[in-house]
Amino acid sequence: MRSRNGQPFVRILLAAIAFGGGLVGCVTDPEAIAPLPQRIYVANESDNSVTVIDANTYKVVGTIDAKNSSTHDLSLTRDGSKLFATNLASGRVSVIDTRSMETIASIDTGNRAHVVTLTNDNKQAWVANIGENNISILDATTYRILGTIPVGEGPTGLAFSHDGRFAYVSNQGEKAIKVIDTASHQIIKSIPVGANPHFLIVDRQGRVWGTNTGETTIYVIDPETNDIAGTLEVGAKPQQIAFGFKGTKGPLAYVTVGGTDKVAVVNADPKNLKVLEEIAVGSGPNGIWANLEGTRLFVGHDKGHDVRVIDTGTSAVISTVPVGRKPIRVVVSR
Amino acid sequence: MTGRMLVGLLLGSVLGAGLPVVTLAASAPAGFAENAIGTLVVVRIDGVQERLQGVGQIPLFEGDVLRTDAGSQAVVKFKEGVKVALNEETSFKVLSRWVKDQPLTRILRMSRGEVWVTTYGEEPVRFEVETPVATAAIEGTEFDLKVQEDGQSVLTVVSGIVKFGTAFGTCPIKPGTISYGVRGKKCTKPAPTDVMKALEWTKAVK
Repeated sequence: MRSRNGQPFVRILLAAIAFGGGLVGCVTDPEAIAPLPQRIYVANESDNSVTVIDANTYKVVGTIDAKNSSTHDLSLTRDGSKLFATNLASGRVSVIDTRSMETIASIDTGNRAHVVTLTNDNKQAWVANIGENNISILDATTYRILGTIPVGEGPTGLAFSHDGRFAYVSNQGEKAIKVIDTASHQIIKSIPVGANPHFLIVDRQGRVWGTNTGETTIYVIDPETNDIAGTLEVGAKPQQIAFGFKGTKGPLAYVTVGGTDKVAVVNADPKNLKVLEEIAVGSGPNGIWANLEGTRLFVGHDKGHDVRVIDTGTSAVISTVPVGRKPIRVVVSR
Repeated sequence: MTGRMLVGLLLGSVLGAGLPVVTLAASAPAGFAENAIGTLVVVRIDGVQERLQGVGQIPLFEGDVLRTDAGSQAVVKFKEGVKVALNEETSFKVLSRWVKDQPLTRILRMSRGEVWVTTYGEEPVRFEVETPVATAAIEGTEFDLKVQEDGQSVLTVVSGIVKFGTAFGTCPIKPGTISYGVRGKKCTKPAPTDVMKALEWTKAVK
C-alpha cells in the first residue's frame, strides 16, 4: 500500500479502536468490519497502478501497484471489497483488496487482456483478451481459469444483460457486437456496428450502449430483440459512457469524446437520441463514471493525466484531481 | 570482480527490489525438459525457439510454449514436484498464479493434445492444467488429460483425486474413472474406465 500522509493506516487504526474489540476482534468478527468509504478508482495505464480518490473530498488517499504492466480496465465487486484490473502488456488480471489497498493476486488470462467485467452475481470475472480473440472465465474466489469462449477478432468491450442471460462483446476486427448465451457459452447473434467498437455499458433500463471509437457515433441495443435501437453522431473518437441527471432532466447519457476534448450530453431515449449539450473538459477524455445519484461525473483524461469532477446540475467542472499517467478507466464504489 | 560488475550487481539488486512479481517469477526456471522422442520445441516468450531431441536439460520459464508435432513425445519436470509427459501433437503454455501469502500455483494452459501428469516427492503441490473448457487442479495425483479439436476435454484419473472444473461447476474425479469437460456444461459424471489403456502412449517416453 502506498499512501499519502499515511491516511489509510490512520483510518485502519481508528477503525480498530472504534470497534472496541481490539485488533483480534476486528479480524475475526466479520460484522465488526466497517463499511468502506465511497471511493473512486482510476486505472493509470502508463504507471501500472490504480489511484484511489475519496469520492466526497476528491483527495487522493492512495496509489496501488498493480504488480503488472499497462493497467487498463477495472471492475469492482458490488460490496466494493475487491477490484479486478486488466493489464494489457502482461496479459494478466490483478486482484486488489480495496480495504488494504494492495494487489493480492495476479492471474494470467491471455495475451493483451483488455477489459474485465464481473458477472451479475460477482462469482466470475470475464476477461476479453484481444490478442487471443477469446474471453477467459475467471473464478472470482479461487482465481482459477474455468474456461474460454472464442468470440472472434479483437474483443474490446464486455457487458452483461440485467437478467444475466446474455453477454455482449464488441469485436473491433469484425465491427460487430457478439451476443453470447451465458447458459451455453455459444454466440447466438452478431450485431453489425461501426469501426472500432469499444466500450459497452448497460443503462438502468437494461439497454446496451456502445461507442464506435473509430468513427463518430454511439449506438444503443434493445435487449429484448438484440437489435440496434438507435445511433447518434457525437464527435470523433467517442470513448466511454455514463448516465446521470441534470436537475429534472434525465436520465442523460454522458459520452467522453476524445477527438473534441468534450463530454457530449445525450438525451438517453433511443427513439429520440440527440446531443443536448457539450461540456468542455481536459485533453483526451476517456474513462467516465457517475455516482449512484447521477449528480457527479468523474472523467479521466488519458493525455491530461487527471480526473475532473463534473457537477451535472450546472455542467461545471468542480474539481481536478491529478492522478497517474494515462488514466484510462474510472470506477466508483457504491 | 571488477568495479563495473559490482556497480552492475548493486544496481540490479536495487532495481530488482521494485520489479513486479511477475517479472521476478519469470526469471527463475519453472522446470526442465528432460527427454524427447522426436523433437520437443520450446518457444520462449520473445519467440526464440529451442529444441530437445533425446535426453537433455532445457530450462523452462514462465511464458514458454511447449510443442510436440506428429510422431514426437516428451517428458518435462517442474520444480513443484510434477512430472508431465506430452503425447504427439500437444501444446501448452507454462504459466503461474500468484496469490498473496500462498505458494505459487503452477499452471499449464493446453491448447491441444494429451498430457500425462504425476506428482512426486513428499510436499503437496499446487498444480493445474487448463484446457479451453475446463481446469484440472491437483495436489498429489496421477492423471491423463486429452484436449480434442473442439476444446472438449477428457480426464482419466489414475490415482488421487482431481478437481475438474468448468464454468458451470467443479466435480471431484476419483481414481479409475473418466470424465468429460464440454463447453457450456458441467463436467460429466465420472464413469469407470481402463486407466492402463489410457496410459499406453506414455510407455515409450516416460
